[in-house]
Amino acid sequence: MRTKVFAFIAFFFFGILIFGLFYTQALKYEYYKGLSERNRIRVIPLEAPRGKIYDRSGRLLVSNRIAFDVEVIFQEIKDENKTVDLLSGILAIDRRALEKKIDAARKRPFAPAKIAKDIEKEKAIRVEEISLDLPGVIVTTRPLRNYLYKNSLSHVTGYIGKISEPELAKYKVYGYRMQDFVGKDGIERAFNDYLRGVDGGLQVEVDSRGRQINILAIKEARQGRNLYLTIDIELQEFCHELLKEKTGAIVVMDPSTGAILALVSQPDFDPNAFVSPQRSGEVSRLLNDSGSFPMINRAISGTYPPGSVFKIAVFAAALDTGKFNDTKTFFCDGSHRVGNRVFHCWKEEGHGAQNVRNGIKNSCNVFFYQLGLFLGVDEISKYAFKMGLGRPAGIDLPGEVSGLVPTPSWKRRKLKQSWFKGETANYAIGQGYLLVTPLQIVRFLGAIASGGNLPQPYVVERIEDIKSRRTEAEDTGIRHKVLEALKVGLGDVINAKGGTGYYARSKEVIIAGKTGTAQNPHGDSHAWFAGFAPIDDPRICVVVFIEQGGKGGLAPARSAKKIIEETKKLGLL
Amino acid sequence: MHFKNFDRTLFFATLAILLIGLLTLYSASREYHSQDIVFRQVFWIIFGIVVLFAILRVDYQRIASLSYIFYGATLLFLVMVLFSGRAKGGAHRWISLGFFNLQPSELAKITLILALSSYASVRRSDVTKISFFCKAFLLAIPAFLLILIEPDLGTALLLIPVTLAMLYMAGVNVMHILGVMLLGLASFPVFWHFLKGYQRQRLFVFINPNIDPLGSGYTIIQSKIAVGSGGIFGKGWLAGTQNQLNFLPERHTDFIFSVVGEEWGFVGALVLILLYALIVYRGIKIIETTPDTCGKLIATGLVTLFTLQVLINIGMTIGFLPVVGLTLPLISYGGSSLITTLLCIGLLLNIGMRRPLF
Repeated sequence: MRTKVFAFIAFFFFGILIFGLFYTQALKYEYYKGLSERNRIRVIPLEAPRGKIYDRSGRLLVSNRIAFDVEVIFQEIKDENKTVDLLSGILAIDRRALEKKIDAARKRPFAPAKIAKDIEKEKAIRVEEISLDLPGVIVTTRPLRNYLYKNSLSHVTGYIGKISEPELAKYKVYGYRMQDFVGKDGIERAFNDYLRGVDGGLQVEVDSRGRQINILAIKEARQGRNLYLTIDIELQEFCHELLKEKTGAIVVMDPSTGAILALVSQPDFDPNAFVSPQRSGEVSRLLNDSGSFPMINRAISGTYPPGSVFKIAVFAAALDTGKFNDTKTFFCDGSHRVGNRVFHCWKEEGHGAQNVRNGIKNSCNVFFYQLGLFLGVDEISKYAFKMGLGRPAGIDLPGEVSGLVPTPSWKRRKLKQSWFKGETANYAIGQGYLLVTPLQIVRFLGAIASGGNLPQPYVVERIEDIKSRRTEAEDTGIRHKVLEALKVGLGDVINAKGGTGYYARSKEVIIAGKTGTAQNPHGDSHAWFAGFAPIDDPRICVVVFIEQGGKGGLAPARSAKKIIEETKKLGLL
Repeated sequence: MHFKNFDRTLFFATLAILLIGLLTLYSASREYHSQDIVFRQVFWIIFGIVVLFAILRVDYQRIASLSYIFYGATLLFLVMVLFSGRAKGGAHRWISLGFFNLQPSELAKITLILALSSYASVRRSDVTKISFFCKAFLLAIPAFLLILIEPDLGTALLLIPVTLAMLYMAGVNVMHILGVMLLGLASFPVFWHFLKGYQRQRLFVFINPNIDPLGSGYTIIQSKIAVGSGGIFGKGWLAGTQNQLNFLPERHTDFIFSVVGEEWGFVGALVLILLYALIVYRGIKIIETTPDTCGKLIATGLVTLFTLQVLINIGMTIGFLPVVGLTLPLISYGGSSLITTLLCIGLLLNIGMRRPLF
């Protein structure tokens, strides 16, 4: 019995299906035949412009301009020779190349084929004029990304490019097509889903000659969402100018929130090159330049030894653990012996007896060798990690790296060697295995400036009207008294007589900070300066890093001062 | 081997459909895909038929006795695929085995049928109890959920009617089945909440394809035009404009029936459907004549599965059902689907061959 019911249900549905087919193929035949014959429904995509990007005061940074393309529909071309003649004249394209392109269009005679992309407006107007006499030639427009500030913002905005095959496979369900552009780096990549609009299109019916008969459906393209950054474009350009022709990075951050006011990495690139078909040579040069790596955002993806800037962490560890206090001193006679190795201070004749305040002001290496050895490597690493080194700062840009905070167990695991005492001495002055990014350093300073909170840096303030998602600042747990002592010490570095950061001294605002000159086995030393201002109520944190820039107390300190004075002028301080 | 009881009709109907499939695939792929597709399909067919005959050699009762192990292994694969599966179209469905991409959800259809059958045949004295019913469902739920989160909505939903049909044939209380169906309807709003954006979109588009004429609606519109414009006798092999001018997306896989409809018309489509119905009819004969509960239930599961795939796939090409991503058995391009289907048919033939002779 149940088998009968089962069979009945199965065949009942087969019956419905046959009826459905009969309905579609016999009863509605004329209708569908009509659609199919005139057919050939053609879809003309309407590309959606990406969202615009603005700076903190609403100044336009990235927008879209109109690009003019020339297309041909092979089927409609009447006189191929005349078409090639006229077009090659106006577009200044070689006849042969143009013939080739038109020949390629022959394969899909009904579909428009692009023969020239992003031509000048004047040329577009002339093509439009002659297209009345040249059937089959059309000028189309599409939005093209336009980076108004070119190179100066390149590592923040990133760039866009044609979707790659793996990306396409991944995002196909979200409606991406083969020729679509997606963000490849920077904000363009990290916020691609917001910036990307919803493409629209026309679905048109065309007859067998490819002529449009009727529009079946229209879907308007919708622009992507606009982003508002924390960047101040004037400050950004100012910093960019300071670093011109150099290799390095500058980051300016508000320590209370983590908002990035400027972020520059040199060498840089012009993101406009990536959307302009005429500049493909430049693009491949940029992407393959393995000498200067212009595509690397050194502020977040470059790792370097911090040099003396790191003494701040050792200072904090010494006082915060209570193992050391301001009454204790170490003596500097210009060098220090650990085992059979002699470590030198940068000042040959020595600094004499140094307490911690003098130690940091003079950036006395011997003082910090001894302090480091006294604390031990584990304590130093613990504080380095607490202060945000050795892990990503969590900025909303892609490609951030962690750097490296070494420990004896790390060394055993990675290098299969035990930790040497001499390495602790070297570590205490920011040399050796330790690697940091400029962004980590500015965050590290931010923790001191903000009274112990490690801010999470970010560049996107809001998406349209919605605040971007961020995490709370992380409490380092370092005691207030220690932070105050550090501030005083860092103030001395710049403002006390004989301070190593003398060149950052400003008449307009009291700056605190630390210089760093990191030995570089591959060439000249790397130069660092990291600081904040005003000292009693810090509003701005700055890091200036110059690859092979020599002494941190010179160019970086000078630049940092200029930047801070500029922020004051701009009303950011 | 009792080749006397080998169901030749069923087997030759299968071969006929495979042949129609190859001709259609040739037509669908010759312009815009590489010709490899047909050769590869031929390879899968040969391989599938070898599998079919291999299955015949093993008594289905022995297969059924290992069903829990098979089912357990399938669940393991399903878990694996979530972590390491190759993502295609945003879903984790495949495990790469080098020359072949294994799709565990295909496997799950069969192993679930086996597991349910051996469960129900062992416990057949409890069959009318609610506890029997619930436990049977609990058995099916892991596979259902794992496939659902891949996400492979079509296959997951397929498991529900298959389970219900098997329980029905096992003799459970009809009220229980109706109860579950009502519950399913009532839980639709909750279910809706868990659907991915593109899946919701497909359901919207099913209701009105014109809301998205360029995206998901495009396939349905083009498919309907193709089938409808085929008329009674079709446009002729290799002459379907919708097909040959590249208007039909996915026409070598999920939407291959549109090509049949366009090029061979209602007459061709009818022949194909009748061939499918013939297989179903022979399958039901096997259900009817198999006295052993386990075999009967396996056959029920397989026949239901096969019927549903055919109905749903063709239904979606003419816009009667939403697009859920199911292949057309024996015709759509693809090794996983083809081999699973031939394996199912092998099992069915196996049950038919080994019915005890009194």
